[in-house]
Amino acid sequence: MKRSKTWAWVVFILGALYFIVPLLATVQFSLSIRRGTLSLDAYTNVIQSPQFQQTFSYSLIVGAAAIVVGLFIVVPAAYFVRLRAPQLRPVIEFVTLLPLIIPPIILVFGYIRMYNSSSILPLTNSALGTDILLTLAYVALALPYMYRAVDTGLRTIDVQTLTEAANILGANTVTILLRVIFPNIIVAVLSGAFLTLAIVIGEFTIASLLNRPAFGVYMQNVGANRAYEPAALAVISFVITWGAMGMIQLLARFAPKTAIRTD
Amino acid sequence: MNLKSALAASVSVLAVLGSTVSTFAATDLAALYDAAKAEGQLTVIALPHDWCGYGAVIDAFKAKYPGITVNELNPDAGSGDEIEAIKANKGNTGPQAPDVIDVGLSFGPSSKADGLIQAYKVSTWDSIPDSAKDADGFWYGDYYGVMSFLVNKDLVANSPTSWADLKKPEYANQFALAGDPRAANQAISAVHAAGLSTGAKPGADAGTAGLNFLAELNKAGNFVPVIGKAAPLAQGTTPIVAAWDYNALAWKDGFAGNPKAEVVVPSDAVVAGVYIQAISAYAPHPNAAKLWMEYLYSDEGQIGWLAGYCHPIRFNDLAAKNAIPADLLAKLPDPALYAKAVFPTLDEQAAAKDAITKNWDSVVGANVQ
Amino acid sequence: MSSNSGTSTPSATPGSPGVVSVRRGFLSGHGWGEVIGVAPFLIFAVLFLVVPTLYLAYGAFVGRDGQFTLQNIIDLGTPQIINSFWISIRVSAASAILGALIGLILALAIIRGRLPSGIRSAVMTFSGVASNFAGIPLAFAFLSTLGRLGLVTVILKTVFAFDIYRAGFNLLSFWGLTLTYCYFQIPLMVLIIAPAIDGLRKEWTEAAETLGATRFQFWRYVGLPILWPNLLGTLSLLFANAFGAIATAYALTGSSLNIVPILLYAQIRGDVLQNPGLGAALALGMILITAVANVIYLVIRTRAERWLK
Repeated sequence: MKRSKTWAWVVFILGALYFIVPLLATVQFSLSIRRGTLSLDAYTNVIQSPQFQQTFSYSLIVGAAAIVVGLFIVVPAAYFVRLRAPQLRPVIEFVTLLPLIIPPIILVFGYIRMYNSSSILPLTNSALGTDILLTLAYVALALPYMYRAVDTGLRTIDVQTLTEAANILGANTVTILLRVIFPNIIVAVLSGAFLTLAIVIGEFTIASLLNRPAFGVYMQNVGANRAYEPAALAVISFVITWGAMGMIQLLARFAPKTAIRTD
Repeated sequence: MNLKSALAASVSVLAVLGSTVSTFAATDLAALYDAAKAEGQLTVIALPHDWCGYGAVIDAFKAKYPGITVNELNPDAGSGDEIEAIKANKGNTGPQAPDVIDVGLSFGPSSKADGLIQAYKVSTWDSIPDSAKDADGFWYGDYYGVMSFLVNKDLVANSPTSWADLKKPEYANQFALAGDPRAANQAISAVHAAGLSTGAKPGADAGTAGLNFLAELNKAGNFVPVIGKAAPLAQGTTPIVAAWDYNALAWKDGFAGNPKAEVVVPSDAVVAGVYIQAISAYAPHPNAAKLWMEYLYSDEGQIGWLAGYCHPIRFNDLAAKNAIPADLLAKLPDPALYAKAVFPTLDEQAAAKDAITKNWDSVVGANVQ
Repeated sequence: MSSNSGTSTPSATPGSPGVVSVRRGFLSGHGWGEVIGVAPFLIFAVLFLVVPTLYLAYGAFVGRDGQFTLQNIIDLGTPQIINSFWISIRVSAASAILGALIGLILALAIIRGRLPSGIRSAVMTFSGVASNFAGIPLAFAFLSTLGRLGLVTVILKTVFAFDIYRAGFNLLSFWGLTLTYCYFQIPLMVLIIAPAIDGLRKEWTEAAETLGATRFQFWRYVGLPILWPNLLGTLSLLFANAFGAIATAYALTGSSLNIVPILLYAQIRGDVLQNPGLGAALALGMILITAVANVIYLVIRTRAERWLK
């Protein structure tokens, strides 16, 4: 049975239109800062500041840390729940939905109350401690997406058989996780990583209230109450984040992959 | 000596001490600066750089008093956020705890009652009008502005000159508020002003009248429920926005002619809104906070706000002393308009806010189907 | 083709004490390995999710004077608030279902549609960015596109003499908001369902073809049932995602649309004195609704997974 590719092209083009046209409108507006002509002034206004690079690299580093910590927390938990303790699944799934419902501002005030100078774990006292707190806050924000992505990935592979086979061959749990399970869920892990990075780059409220120099804070400072700069910022942020994800995708090519034949 | 002369002596001693204390306060600035430098930091919150020229004010403060880092938390915060930040940071001495807050008038008495702010009377205390400060020194008005319209002249040929004008059919799909009238001070004040323009008394009456006015605008199709800011105004979704005059003027400056814009103070109702300053009771850097207050209420600080188009609370005092540069005065709207500005009292504000926030949805609610 | 369902087959897997384990004690068949595996997640969840939620729950029962009160919960019964919950649920459900459907079709197109290989990675990375493109930038983008003076509106009016607003379209409406929400719902769906679509082995398609199935029959009897639990799970995520979203709605429909997060924000963030206790009660209500939605999803999924065992 020959399959035509037209339907796929039609769907793709319609989808591309829906997603690209609003971006085009934003770009068009951002270029209109000067009367009557198109100019890049809004962009130069935004990029000129030295803080642009500083805050962006800061957010990238925090994002990378959040991805790693997130994976470390989510993958073993999703694995063991799937393998051994399916009765915990409803509870864990509900917990992972909480960050979507609780407004980030309530979260950050909660963390400040719990981890301020006079608590057992005074994270807010030092810059490094606050950075750690910020990273963990981002892990919390990205948890729903990370968990759902990893869970979908695990559901797709036959975890039980893989584990048994690896055990028979003498692997311990850590080896199983690292060398058997992880490579088979690379696609899911990538999805989770993308979603985490996107959240970290754009996040503003938590970073601002914790007084950390994040990219979102910089964007807000530059763009608030201006007409054209916010549009330029949105475009820049979009393009840079897309680039960062492209890099992650490239790096993932070097990771060991599953041998499952897919269509 | 007997009791009477002892009493007389102690009273005279006290009098002498009293006078030295007041002169003490003036020269204290140097000591205050040293103490603030020892603390090394000042944490502020909710101060966007474009609001009343705070960006320039903070820079000037840093230039005048080197050695003090200024941590700027969440410039996007509303007054409620600032109060919440004080509460959440109660045990925290890190740079996340705000030292000073700049909030709406109604938050003054409530934060004092909740024990969230501490008293401090700046050296220019007496020149602050009594109606705009707490007698015990817990909170004090900092600046005010009046409700005005910012009009995108590229899209609107004839600017509306009054609230009544807005009902004209030529303004279809053009008028917007600068915030959510269920939460934002600016939007609520705009509705209040609309009510006052119909002749109602300030307070709950004007609140309800304002709601009815906006309901009419909505039914006529003139009201756009999008929150009006610089970007939507320039883009064309909200060509007429009701905002504080200092915001309108700052946004207009930001446009730099593209689009052409005009700031209009409506002729039928001029409503003023006052914001207040206070020092957090849990401020980790109290001396830096006091130094900041001294700076804000000095002539230099007050004029810094004026450069951001806000009328500083000591405006009349400064004008009497001829301390205001003429070019700054020229940039502001006609002083005659401010002469007839209505300053709603705390109670009137609270009553209007109650009426507006509770009934907005039922009276005006563009009821999404 | 077995799908994992837990401890259904006794076997010499690490940690389990032999063949059949009688349920006894706290660990009952689970070894310390599992506990250590799940521990980081549980510790993190407790410290960073559960405790702030408990603060919130506590705040819902505290009145302005600091005393315990049920008034905040009772206040939830006002028509304005009930209406806002109802609208929130409808917007979230609409954008979740639309987003899931369109996202699924798009994902199928780029993964199984035999398009040039670069398209898949481009779409996946783009989806990563678009999934978080929400709030003011998104609202502004749509206003610039489909607003009264938007790019598309103007082009349609001038080039095609078609005024969409006169035809009844309005971006500032329920469906306009849903359309805008789809901008981040669809990419989210694409990203999360991608590994599941990858898991539809070529062998199954070939086997179905050999047995004479049409493409429709393949999807109806093989493909969709396998994807179904994943679809449901993502639907639940999409629902919660839309339910908690405020920035986009706020920037787009501002004061005309009455959804719960906007009310919540008005209570806890407003410029004028509000009632944080009511805000906490609203948040608690949102958590409860999410829990109910989650339960419904779990029930449906358990039924669907039964045949997979």
